[in-house]
Amino acid sequence: MATTKLGFIVQRPPYKSENPKLALTHAIATQSVEVYLNEGDTVTADIAFIGDGVLNCKKDQKAMDYYGLTSTEQHIKMALLVDINIWVCKEDVEKFGLSEDDLVLDAEEFGADMTVNVVPYGEISKKMEEMNHLLFF
Amino acid sequence: MKLAVFVSDYRMTVDTLDRLSPEKMGIILVQNGVYHATLKENGTPSSLLNKSAEFYALKEDLETRGLDASKVDSKVKVIAMGDVVDLIFNDYEKTAWI
Repeated sequence: MATTKLGFIVQRPPYKSENPKLALTHAIATQSVEVYLNEGDTVTADIAFIGDGVLNCKKDQKAMDYYGLTSTEQHIKMALLVDINIWVCKEDVEKFGLSEDDLVLDAEEFGADMTVNVVPYGEISKKMEEMNHLLFF
Repeated sequence: MKLAVFVSDYRMTVDTLDRLSPEKMGIILVQNGVYHATLKENGTPSSLLNKSAEFYALKEDLETRGLDASKVDSKVKVIAMGDVVDLIFNDYEKTAWI
């Protein structure tokens, strides 16, 4: 019996490439991977947004209105709904002149209990050390 | 030459834009290029906005990213896709995408 901890680190801004959404969809997919594991084994996924990646967390994205795309904001909310830990680098948010008020912080409308954690990079760094595997997007 | 340059990235890895010197240049910020119009890293607007050019940002791409079209830099005019077409046909002779 073992738990494998996966850390998804998102460093790129949204939409120009698929990378940030792939991080989110892969992390969400870990919820259904248990059918392939030995009994008792589990996989957990945490997501951290750092650098330009924090721009993924900007709220009020209208990708569906203009391009018929599920927004990155919606993917973040889906991740919260399936109880994935999400960390956002506080220093990088502030570097862009943004505040927590500018970010998607919860998915209450979907009934999610989890919330986005805006924390100093040092805290994210500690979380990264706890992971078995880090995947950079 | 009147040149319209589409800028679609926030992090520029080439200096092509610095080497262009048309008699008239329009910089149209699209896709992730729209971050140049709104973000102030460490309180400083994008250096791209210091260039001698007319600046435009595509409203659809601003709002797709959750950026408020009313809060773009004062140098930048927010335009819709139809306006981009008008610029290409009426104001500029050539276009480039970087």
